[in-house]
Amino acid sequence: MSASEPALLSLTEVAHAIAQRQVSSREVTQSCLDRIQQWQPRLNAFMAIEADDALSAADAADAALAKGNSRGVLHGVPLAHKDMYYDAGKVVTCGSKIRRDWVATSTATALQRLKDAGTIRLGSLQMVEFAYGPTGHNPHYGAVHNPWGYDHVTGGSSSGSGSAVAARLTFAALGSDTGGSIRMPAHFCGVTGLKNTVGRVSRAGAMPLSQSLDTVGPLARTAEDCALLLGLMAGADPEDPTCIGGSLPDYTAATREPIKGLTVGIPSAFYVDDLDPDVARVLEATTAVLKGEGARVVQVELPDQRQLTAACQIVLAVEAAAFHKRWMIERPGDYGPQVLMRLQNALAIPAVSYLETLRWRGPALAAHLAATSGVDAVLAPVAPVAAPTIAESDVGNSPDAEAVIQRLTRFTRPVNYLGLPALSIPCGFTRSGLPVGMQLIGRSFDEALLLQIGAAFQRVTDFHAKCPEPK
Amino acid sequence: VTRPSPKEIKAMANVAGLPVDDEVATRIANSIGPAFDGFAHVAGTLPFDLEPATFNRVQTTQVAK
Repeated sequence: MSASEPALLSLTEVAHAIAQRQVSSREVTQSCLDRIQQWQPRLNAFMAIEADDALSAADAADAALAKGNSRGVLHGVPLAHKDMYYDAGKVVTCGSKIRRDWVATSTATALQRLKDAGTIRLGSLQMVEFAYGPTGHNPHYGAVHNPWGYDHVTGGSSSGSGSAVAARLTFAALGSDTGGSIRMPAHFCGVTGLKNTVGRVSRAGAMPLSQSLDTVGPLARTAEDCALLLGLMAGADPEDPTCIGGSLPDYTAATREPIKGLTVGIPSAFYVDDLDPDVARVLEATTAVLKGEGARVVQVELPDQRQLTAACQIVLAVEAAAFHKRWMIERPGDYGPQVLMRLQNALAIPAVSYLETLRWRGPALAAHLAATSGVDAVLAPVAPVAAPTIAESDVGNSPDAEAVIQRLTRFTRPVNYLGLPALSIPCGFTRSGLPVGMQLIGRSFDEALLLQIGAAFQRVTDFHAKCPEPK
Repeated sequence: VTRPSPKEIKAMANVAGLPVDDEVATRIANSIGPAFDGFAHVAGTLPFDLEPATFNRVQTTQVAK
């Protein structure tokens, strides 16, 4: 254990260390706060820092533990989450001006389940306005910076989650993934991110963007940590009728399983086209590691992914605009220009086209499952490039920004349209030192298998353990 | 399906109660146009009886490797 700086431990390690009273919750919380103080001016990852409340909660957790009272497996572990998870009595900005002072009156189910397991609130994390953007820019609260290169984007919309987990300011963070918003920050910031199957984790109390596509999931340092969090959050919720019930696998146990005999598919097209040479190199190296662990790697031919991307864009645009219509009428000037532009895109989409994209979703998923019936999971890059600079992806200030952004989301949106789970894991670095992640795409509700493969990969590599240093 | 023109977008935006000017309509047409192009091969081809809820049925169907 890192006794001198417990913030450097993984979530699983620190939870165990607190439970065994090898370290106190106060020491852990103070360690996180020290790093937040050091990094926040560089990263702008936090929306709110609640140091005094966090330390008081840590003291209470230590006192309870001294009496033999543990609240759960995350007793006394300090965490911060994307500022779109309602927490009763707390301001939840959703990264917006419109909700700058909005106080939640209920608590998101996913967040409550983590609280019930004993977590402590460190504050809240920055995000793209209303979670509607893939880069990490925010006109109201400033861009979040990538700890591996301050001039580079974190990816969005869970920008603060990616940045803060990478810099070891929080052990894990909730993000949300509607078009890639967990996997892109995980890829750009060098952390592990789990986009769950639509219906796996309750969305009650999470700010909505698209009711067909929204998913709640964690960004953490390891697949093992993601498994721990998913096990706590998953399952039926009367507050969210779209959330699927039934028995759940032991996700943590899955991470201990070997992958010998599993088959991983590499797409023959689309996900391997037009890759930056660094990303192509990392894909090849990742494939070699999986083979080395006993997995069989084969080529897989997927249906036309461009159609899935297009369908995702149509569903997302219409559903987001429907949520926002009242504010688009009453407060258009309170949106940042990028988000207002994206919301306005829905005005061009006839209802018939929107409903066609929803009707096609079943056959499209069936076609994907048929195409991947010979493999356990698909391995693909999260994006064709590593993190672009904040300047080159700033819509309105860079003439190429739209093209840069379109390229970023190419590989994530098909997964959202199909509602599939995908795990983004750090798999290497570019020659200039920026992280590169790969996504493992699985079958519906088979997150356990992705976590199994991710954990096996992380047992024999150390990309997830690399920690950026302040410059 | 074909991508809507700026003129058509202006009319649709008016009906939606969110009127836009020519410049915004042109920007929207350029921005969302590729999505229409991408979905063009599917649009208008779906079977009559296909319901959106088919997705949920396929999602929960176990597919053996």
